[in-house]
Amino acid sequence: MRRAPDRRRLFGLLFVLPAALYVAIFQLGPVLYGLVLSFSRYSPLSREGAVFVGLDNYAALLDDPEFVQALLVTGRYVLQVLPFTVGIALGLALLAGKAFRGVGFFRTALYIPHIVSLTAVSMIWLWIYSEQGLVNDVLALLGLPEQRWLVSEDAALNAASAMRVWKALGSNMVLLLAGLHTVPRELYEAAKVDGAGRWARFRHVTLPGIRPILTYVVAMDVIYLAQGFPEIFVLTQGGPYGSTTTVNYLIYTEAFQYNEMGSASAMAFVLFAFIAGFTVLVIRGRKS
Amino acid sequence: MRTLFTAGLLALVLTACSSAAPSGGQPPGKLTVWFPGNSEAEMKLVKESIVPAFEKASGADVEVTYVDWAELSPKLNAAFAAGTAPDVIGHGVAATADLAANDRIEDLTPYVAKLEGRADLAAALPGGQVGGKQYIVPLIMTLRMIVYSGADFKAAGLDPEVPPETWQDVRAAAEKLTEREGDKIVKAGLVLPSNPIGIQQSYGTLLWSNGGEFLSPDGKKATLDTPQALASLEFFAGLYQGASAVDNTLGATWANSPPAEQPIVTGAAAMQLSNAGDIVKYQAAAPDRDLRLMPPPGFHGHGPRAFGGPANGLMINKDSRQKDTAWQFIAHMMGADTSLSYAEALGALPVRASSVDSPYIGQNAELRKAVEALPVNHANPNVPGWVRMRDAMGKSLEMALHGKLPAAEALKRATADVDKIIATGS
Repeated sequence: MRRAPDRRRLFGLLFVLPAALYVAIFQLGPVLYGLVLSFSRYSPLSREGAVFVGLDNYAALLDDPEFVQALLVTGRYVLQVLPFTVGIALGLALLAGKAFRGVGFFRTALYIPHIVSLTAVSMIWLWIYSEQGLVNDVLALLGLPEQRWLVSEDAALNAASAMRVWKALGSNMVLLLAGLHTVPRELYEAAKVDGAGRWARFRHVTLPGIRPILTYVVAMDVIYLAQGFPEIFVLTQGGPYGSTTTVNYLIYTEAFQYNEMGSASAMAFVLFAFIAGFTVLVIRGRKS
Repeated sequence: MRTLFTAGLLALVLTACSSAAPSGGQPPGKLTVWFPGNSEAEMKLVKESIVPAFEKASGADVEVTYVDWAELSPKLNAAFAAGTAPDVIGHGVAATADLAANDRIEDLTPYVAKLEGRADLAAALPGGQVGGKQYIVPLIMTLRMIVYSGADFKAAGLDPEVPPETWQDVRAAAEKLTEREGDKIVKAGLVLPSNPIGIQQSYGTLLWSNGGEFLSPDGKKATLDTPQALASLEFFAGLYQGASAVDNTLGATWANSPPAEQPIVTGAAAMQLSNAGDIVKYQAAAPDRDLRLMPPPGFHGHGPRAFGGPANGLMINKDSRQKDTAWQFIAHMMGADTSLSYAEALGALPVRASSVDSPYIGQNAELRKAVEALPVNHANPNVPGWVRMRDAMGKSLEMALHGKLPAAEALKRATADVDKIIATGS
C-alpha cells in the first residue's frame, strides 16, 4: 500500500532534480563561493590562489571613502527614482485601466522600453543627452540655455535617474494595472453609494486593494535600482569624479580593473545586506 | 541577489580550476594568439595575409582570436586562472607591469637581443620594458600632437606656416582663435581630451613637457607635489576656467568618436590635442580645413615631451609550451613590411623609424612629422598598480579642472592616493 506514494515521491524528486541541481550549482554555489571569497585576498592573475584574510576586506570598506560615497550615491539613486517610477506608473495604470480608443496602443507603447535591453536604451539616451542631443534641442526651441547633462556633477545622476524612471514605467504600469483589476467593482459601487468622492475612493478602496502588488513593485524596484550598473557604465562611467559611481559600478572596477576579487565580493555582500534591509522594511511597511 | 550571483559566479569561474595550479598555454601544435580590438581592416590583414604567410614559412598552425578592448582584461584574467590563456597575448602596454609582477608573461629580453635591426626600434622598445626587462614588443606607436586648422589660423590672422613652439604660445594662439557669442564659446581655440582616462594622458603631456614626472625613478613615490606639477595643472585648468577660457568640452568623450565627429573636423575647435596617427582620417573627413600637425611644444625652458609610446604590442604567456614558435610569430609581426602594413591598416604610427621613408608615411607630410616626432614620446609609468593610480589621480585632476578643488589641493590628494596605492601594493 505504501509503495505507490513512495514511487510518486521518487518520480517527483527526479523531475525536480535538474532544476534543483541548476539552482545549486549555478546560483547557490557561486553565492556561497562569493561569500567565502569575501574573506580572502584573491587576484585571478596571482599564482598563489585565494589567501584567507578574515574580516579585513569588510573592515577596509568602513575606512574606504569611495565605498561610502558609492553607498550614498546608490541610496540617492534609489530614493529619487522610486517615487517617480511608482507614482507615475500608478497614474498611467489608472489611465490605462479606462476604456478609450487606442488604449491597447497606449499600453504597448509604454511597455516597449521594458523589453529593450538597458544597455541599448542607455546608448540611445547617451545621444539624447549629448550636447547636440534631443534634450538640448528642445531647450533651445524653448529659448533655454543648453545643459551638459552627463558631465556636470549636479546633473549627471539626475539625468541617469530620469532615464531609469522612463525605462521602469512600462513594467510597473502593467503590474499595477493587473493589481487594479483585482479590486472588486462592488467596493467602488458601495463607496459611491456612501457618498465617497474620487479621492476618497482612491484612498480607501484602490490603495488598500492594490497594496500587495504595490509592495511587490516597490520591493522589486529597490532590488533592481540598488544594483544599477549598465546605465552608469554607458552614460557616465561613474563620473564626473565619482559622483555617479554606484556600488555595483565600484564592484566592477574593483574586480575587473584592479583584480581585487575578495574586496569586490565583500562590497557585493554589504550591498546585499542593504538591499535585504530595505526590502524587509518595505514588506514590514505593508503589513503594518 | 543578482549582484551576489554575478560576483560569485565570476569568482567561481575564475578560480574553478584553482589558480594555485600552474596554468598552461594550449597544447603544442596550435599557436593561439589573442589580438585586442575590432578593427575590420586589421582583422582582414592579420587573418588573410599575415597569419597565412607565417604559417607557410614556419609550418605552424595559428589560431587568432580578436577580443574587444573592453573585455580583454577580464577574459584574459579568467583564462589565466583557468589555465587557458593564449600563447601570444596582444594587449596595451599599461597591462604589462601587473602581468609581469604576477609572473604571467615571459621575459623577452633574450629574444629581443637577437632581433635584427633593433636600432630601428629604438623609440618603441623602451616603452615595453618593466624594471629594465622587455616584456612586451610594441606593434604600433601613438603620440599626442596638436592638430590645427590652417584655415582657422589664417582667419584669425595667424600664420599656419609658423605654428606655436611652446605651450605658452599655444595658449596665446588659442585665445585668438576662440570665438564667443556673449559668454558662450562657440568655437574652441584649443581642446584637450578631458574624459576620465584622457585627463591623465593630457595632463601627462603637459607635466612632462614642463619637466615633471608622475612617479620617482624607482616608482616608489608620487612626485606630484612639485612646482612643475602645479604649474602644469593650473595651465590645464585655465583652459576651462575664467573669462579667457578657450576649451568648452570639459568632460566630453569626443576622443573616441569617429573622425567626422571630432571637434577639429567639424570646425568646433581650431586646435585639438589628438593621436597623431589620426591626421590622415581627419584630413580625409575635412579636406577644406587644411588640417596640419604642430611639432610637440614644451613649456618655456623645457624640451617637448608628449604622451605616447607603444599603443599595444605582443607578449608571450609564461606557461606557453611553444615559446619559440610564439617568438617566431612576434618576430614575423615585427618584420619591416609586415609591421608597416599592420600600422597602415590601423591608421597608426609604425614602430620602425625607417618607415619614415615608406610610401605610407612619405605620401603625407603631416604623417611624416608625426613619425619624426616619435623620439619625444613619453609613456606612462610601467609599474604594478598603475591602472588604480591613474584612476585615483584622474579623479583629483578632474576636480581641479571643474573648479571643485584648487590645483594645489587636488595634487596633494592625488599624491596621497598614489602613495597609499604604492604602499599597499595593490
